[in-house]
Amino acid sequence: MAAATWVPPAVHWLAQAAVPRDITLGEWFTDPATWTGGSGILDSLADTLVLVIAVIVVSVLLAVPTAALLAHLRKAELGSAWVVNIGRAIPTFAIAGLLVPVSLRAGYGFEPWPIFLALILLTVPPMYLSTYTAVKQVDPAAVNAARAMGFTEREVLLTVELPLALTVIFTGVRVASVQVVATEPIRAFLGGDGLGRYVRDGIGQNNPTLVLGGTILIAILAGITAVTFVAIEWLAKPPGVRRLSGRRSDRTMAVRKQMVGT
Amino acid sequence: METTPAIRLRGVTKRFPGTTEDAVSGLDLDVDEGSIVVLIGPSGCGKTTTLRMINRLIEPTSGRIEIQGEDVAERPVTELRRDIGYVIQQVGLFPHRTIEANIATVPRTLGWDKTRIRARVEDLVEVVGIDHEMLSRYPDELSGGQQQRVGVARALAADPPVLLMDEPFGAVDPIVRGRLQDELLELQARVHKTIVLVTHDLDEAIKIADKIVLLNVGGVVEQYASPDELLREPASDFVESFVGDDRSMRRLTLATVGDLPYEQGPVVPIDTPPPDARAVLADQRSEWLGVTDGEAFLGWVQGSEVEDGVRLDDLHRFLPAAQVEPSSTLRNAMEVIMNSRTSVAVINDDGRFCGVVTLERIRAGLEGDLSAAAEPVG
Amino acid sequence: MFLATRAANPLLRWSYFVEQWDRIAEAIFQHVQLTLLAVGFGFVISAGLAFAGMRYRWTVTPITLFAAFLYTIPSVAFFGVLVAYFGLGLVTALIPLTAFTILILVTNILDGFSAVPAAVREAADGMGLTPTQRLFTVEVPIAVPYIINGLRIATVTTVGLVTVAAIVGYGGLGGLILDGLRRAFWTPLTIGASLSILLALLFDLLFFALGAWLTPWARRRQKS
Repeated sequence: MAAATWVPPAVHWLAQAAVPRDITLGEWFTDPATWTGGSGILDSLADTLVLVIAVIVVSVLLAVPTAALLAHLRKAELGSAWVVNIGRAIPTFAIAGLLVPVSLRAGYGFEPWPIFLALILLTVPPMYLSTYTAVKQVDPAAVNAARAMGFTEREVLLTVELPLALTVIFTGVRVASVQVVATEPIRAFLGGDGLGRYVRDGIGQNNPTLVLGGTILIAILAGITAVTFVAIEWLAKPPGVRRLSGRRSDRTMAVRKQMVGT
Repeated sequence: METTPAIRLRGVTKRFPGTTEDAVSGLDLDVDEGSIVVLIGPSGCGKTTTLRMINRLIEPTSGRIEIQGEDVAERPVTELRRDIGYVIQQVGLFPHRTIEANIATVPRTLGWDKTRIRARVEDLVEVVGIDHEMLSRYPDELSGGQQQRVGVARALAADPPVLLMDEPFGAVDPIVRGRLQDELLELQARVHKTIVLVTHDLDEAIKIADKIVLLNVGGVVEQYASPDELLREPASDFVESFVGDDRSMRRLTLATVGDLPYEQGPVVPIDTPPPDARAVLADQRSEWLGVTDGEAFLGWVQGSEVEDGVRLDDLHRFLPAAQVEPSSTLRNAMEVIMNSRTSVAVINDDGRFCGVVTLERIRAGLEGDLSAAAEPVG
Repeated sequence: MFLATRAANPLLRWSYFVEQWDRIAEAIFQHVQLTLLAVGFGFVISAGLAFAGMRYRWTVTPITLFAAFLYTIPSVAFFGVLVAYFGLGLVTALIPLTAFTILILVTNILDGFSAVPAAVREAADGMGLTPTQRLFTVEVPIAVPYIINGLRIATVTTVGLVTVAAIVGYGGLGGLILDGLRRAFWTPLTIGASLSILLALLFDLLFFALGAWLTPWARRRQKS
């Protein structure tokens, strides 16, 4: 694998085992070789998952604490808006592409840095925005009551603001994560693999079956990601907060709109 | 010959789809031209529904509404509404337009030329009491009271004969509300519109209405009368309980001290001989004697100190704490009297003594019809 | 084994830029064209859907769900499927691009119109404005900031997606990026990537300025 990372894509593609063009989708999926093997689904899935999970984890670690802290302190609101905007505006594919030669020059090869960093840039702004908004819009009465009762600022943030903001934060993380899964396939065009490879190869070989197969896999993964997050959200919430989330306040809806429209 | 009422409702009924009861049931009402009629009643009485049927924001299920003899259902609805001023509680100024543009909305729609519109807007801001330089501002730069004034100006822009107001002063604080009510009355004195106003505030109704329509649930008219008559002779138990236990007190706001017949009271010129002074005291059964010098009221002296041989001028005088003006309401007068040692208030018109007011006189005043009283103030 | 000397394969060879200017200009043009077409069609469709949503309240949820579904379809997959069955071409690229704008635009248009206070609508009716007059002189101006915001986000997002559309052969500047990647020749890559980023930021700025210009009342509010 290490050697393959700096083999240029053209050669890489030629090295793929060609899929016969006239097999049906069903046959392709049921052929065990499709799943195992060098360019098998399982391997590709693993590649994708590793990257996606890494991006999500790092983005959450970068975005959520920073946003929560700044929102709590009521600082940097304009700066936040600006950062989010820039992050949202920059085309992921372009920035990833730009990073490829940089990465190669630095000796890191085609993967994983360009796509990884580009996906981070894609994911951090919406997570940051939803966390910032969520913490900022926690009921001020609850926060003031906590302060009046003698909570330290740290306690206020951790025991009052964050739990109440949790629903919205989770939604933001979920939406951003699904977006990562949806965008990750461009990696296949940047010298990498992952589930996007089937679309890439299918287009290259003019093989609709392969493209469709890849599409289905990507779509299923996106769906599973969404469902998984919903499940995690549900399980991880403190019971008190779980009760609250049944009612959708105007604030929650406003934040959700901001994120999706983001 | 009977003059046509400006607005006439006959058998107006409204039932909203999906409900079992009529919101308004067979309402008959005549509104005289140039008068302010206030619709009031508990929630569900259909007052707002009735108001909005006049300009057809709600269409009646049955019945007939006429404005100046014309059936409103016959006119194209947008044309009708341009002839009716409409003011609502939250005002609804267009946030994206300047104050000037807001006020000019209907004239512009009607196609007035620019000069005429400009002149009209200038006129109106004076009439409603808005600073001229506000014209180029946007609505959210104005306070609630100012916005409401702009709303009224906007409603009056095309000079409609009829003005409909739905709880127009509900969204401002009591002080501003009182001021706006006063301004409405001053405005009406100038423009003489036919105004139908909905409110849930009985004091407001009493203060500004020429006539009050008290509605019960379902748009049933419990009483349609002047404020004084409503308070003096409630037509039913419902009306009586609606106006509350203090209707006499409320009636006192409807008349001023100046409306009462002149009473000299136990007051004599300072150079009156003591025996005559004592005679007045006995006659009036008063412990206190007021003394005047020409038109000025000098103060009170204790009746017990009046002796033959002692000039009134030499007696110790107490300055009157209880004083009212001719324009004070009877309510004010009563308040003042309650707070003084005497049960008498001196009427002081800019330094001139105009007589006295006693509790008895006030009570007697309530026996009459206070509707004919002069414009109540504050 | 592929070793490129830094001199032979710089990040940006200026001579290439000059020589290939025609190709680059064409790529820019195609990129802008695709973006504007996608946002244009998307806007028309979204406006229609938004009006349906306002007229028939119950359609709002299904419309939003459908649009959200379109949005979450991975772009690569969407492009891939269409090209596999319909071949390379403008339409193939345009369909997913348009579809991705719909969620953003519909949401923002609906938000815009729901931002019109009920009191303002009632006052407008009470004054005798016809429904059309009310729509164009009152509701649309108030909704404009939201619509502009939606257009801004949609356009910028589309610029990014057009780069991905290069995989179906119609990607404007994305084509340069892909070409550079395939040949491991950095200059077109750098040019394509930088220009597309610049284009996105430019559109962002443009719409921001447009929004500010069209809403003097909001600016005033910030001042006072």
